[in-house]
Order: sequence, then C-alpha cells, then structure tokens
Amino acid sequence: MSDTSIKLDILTPMGAIRDGIDVPGVEVPGVLGELGVLPRHESLLTAVVPGIVRFREGVQAVRLAVGSGFLEVKEAGRVIVLVDRVATVEQVDRAAVLARLGEVKAQLEVDKGPIDAGAHRALADERAWLEAQLRLVAN
Amino acid sequence: MANLKELRNRIGSVKNTRKITAAMSQIAAARLRKAQDAVTAAKPYGDRMREVIESLVAGIDPAERAAAHPLLELRPVKRELVIVMTADRGLCGGFNSNIIRATLAWINQRKAEGVECEVIAIGKKAVAGLRHAKVELRATHDAPTLVSLVALSKQVISDAIAAFNGTSGARVDAVRLVFNEFVSMLSQKVHNDVLLPLQPPDGAQAGREPTYEPDRPTILAHLVGLATEARLQQAMFNSIAAEIAARRVAMDAATDNATDMIADLTLVYNRERQAAITKELMEIIGGAEALKG
Repeated sequence: MSDTSIKLDILTPMGAIRDGIDVPGVEVPGVLGELGVLPRHESLLTAVVPGIVRFREGVQAVRLAVGSGFLEVKEAGRVIVLVDRVATVEQVDRAAVLARLGEVKAQLEVDKGPIDAGAHRALADERAWLEAQLRLVAN
Repeated sequence: MANLKELRNRIGSVKNTRKITAAMSQIAAARLRKAQDAVTAAKPYGDRMREVIESLVAGIDPAERAAAHPLLELRPVKRELVIVMTADRGLCGGFNSNIIRATLAWINQRKAEGVECEVIAIGKKAVAGLRHAKVELRATHDAPTLVSLVALSKQVISDAIAAFNGTSGARVDAVRLVFNEFVSMLSQKVHNDVLLPLQPPDGAQAGREPTYEPDRPTILAHLVGLATEARLQQAMFNSIAAEIAARRVAMDAATDNATDMIADLTLVYNRERQAAITKELMEIIGGAEALKG
C-alpha cells in the first residue's frame, strides 16, 4: 500500500523466483511493447511476451529473461509477473543458446506447414525464448 | 540333507531381495522430499493461472464461446484425445496399473457411446500397457522429470491443440487427461479431467474487473495455451511425487514381507535341522544298543 514501492511476485512452474519483495518499480515486456509499473498503478491485466524483466532489488539492478505469461497489477500495490520460464544472466549458456537457435531457425525455414500446427507453434515459441535469453547476455 | 541346503539357499535369496527392496525404499524416501517441494512450489503458478483464465472466460456468453477463442468451442464429442500419464518404471504398487485400467475402462465406455478415442501416452509403462491392449497411440513420450517437465508439457499441449483445431490428423472434439494426483504419502487418486475445450468456471465471478491491455480477447488468446500447459504441468508434478510415494510404500511392504518370510523359513530350517540331529542320535544309540545286545 506504500506510495513509494510495490510488492513484486514472479511466479513460474518451478516455483516463485521472487516472493513479495519491495521494489520501486518494474519493467516488463508486454504484448504491446515495454511497459513500466510504478506505485499506485491502477489494476491491470496484460499479456507478457518473451523478453527482459527489469527491477531494482535494494541497490542491485536485476535483469531476468522471461518467457510468455501475464502481468497482473492489483489495487493493493501488488504486482504478479507470471511466466512459464525464467533465466538469470548466470543461467544462460550463450554458446548452447546460439547453437539451439540456429537449429530452431533452420527447422522453421523448412517447416512450411500451417502457422497454428503444433510443431510450428512450439518452434516459434522456443525461438522467442532463445532470443530473449540472448538479449539478456548481450551486454 | 538336500532339503536343508535348499532352505539355506532360499533364506539367502530372500535376504538379498530384502536388501534391494530396503535400498529402493530409502532412495524413494530421499527423492520424495524434493518432489513434494516441487508440487508445493508449482502450486501458486497453477492456481493463479487458473483464477485469471477463469475470470477471463467467466464474462463470455456460452453462445459466443467459439467466437471468443477456438479452444473454448463446445462441440458434440465424436472423437476424443486422451493424454495418459504413468511412470517409466514399475515396482511402485498399483500406480501404473490403476492408470492403465482406468484408461481402458474409459475408452471402452466411450466406444460404447460411439466416441472414438486416440491416446498420447506419457511414460514407458503407459506405452507398453496400452500398446498391448491395441489402443491407437497418437504419440508416445517418456515420463517427465523435474528437469524435462516444462519442455515436455509444451510439446504435448501444442500437439493436443493441433489435434483439437484439426490442423494435424483427424480433428478431436475434446482432450482429456488421466493421471495420478499426489494426495498423501499413502494415497494417490486417479483423475480423468477435461483439458480442452476450456471449461467454464463453476462459481460466479466476483470482484471488480481490472483494465485489460490491449483487450480481453488478445489476452485470452495469449493465455489459453499457457493455461492448458499449466494444467498439464501441475499433473506432471503430482504424478512424479505420487510415483515416488507409491514406490516407497510398495517397497516398505515388500521389505516387511521379506522379513516375515525369512522368520518363517528360519523356523522351518531350525526344525528340520533339529529333526536331522535327533534322527542321527537315535541311529547312533540304536547302533550302540545293538552292539551291546
């Protein structure tokens, strides 16, 4: 309920990555582009696409690669980022990601099936996730 | 004397078996904690995802469901896809056989109702059991581990969605999921749930609606697949924990049985040995008496 901080939860299937930490704000890759949430934001539900989530934890600036999911802002100053995958800078193995990205792209080139066929969707989804990880370790 | 030797061998072999079952029980006990923690850790994600998707679906008129998103369309069921999940290995009591039995019963019941079924089998035991029963398998996968779980759920669900939309193979009108829920250490419950089409929530929706950005249909389209994956992931976490718990209980029971068996066999062995000694003594005494006479 504070005017200067919000409570941030980051939930994934493997557990909560952050659980109710106080942050001054958070930046999230929304389906319409990057989106920042500050204290006293109105309640909101929006889709999150693979990309980078940024926030400040104490004095530490934190960047995380996230997969698909949603962002929910509740009136009580609580923000939930719920995504299917999360990786920290340390967890990303750049060489492995690049190699896998090459494979996925090559398969997507060959795959001329319908866009909503299962295999195609899965590949496109994986490509977005791999690119998000690359952006995380790019600088 | 041959009988005594046989008994000795028998006791030795049961003792070896007991060592194996005791070790398996201990391994299961050690792994159980981790699996149970994973179930607990995954719960907030699954619960929140379900609540959000339910609040998104709740506002939709039943007649407009199909227009809102293809995965919400309620069609008369003529063909059904059943996702069946077991373990890769046996020696865990009724864990695998309960699932296979429930699946076969379900398929037969559906067949009687004129509904065709195809199956995605997850876990080597499901694959073997259903193949033996000559069930049509659309795809087969190994059982999930805590590492492979997210990727596997994505693969299975994208396949299931393609089947539901009719973009690959014959179109199915419903997707079901048969799996073991981890209820407690001692019990697992076999579930047979509907995954697709997405079911409307039971209760009335409460609370103010948030601002949807960009709008409800876009968010719904983005989340329907993820929410279905989340359901499967929850089931996978449960199945993993339930398998380990079932193995622990089964191996404990086997260890107890082996102990009882060893006690019984030892009793028989000692009685036989005593009988043999007594018989020998009688012979000696008899021989001595005869010499005296």
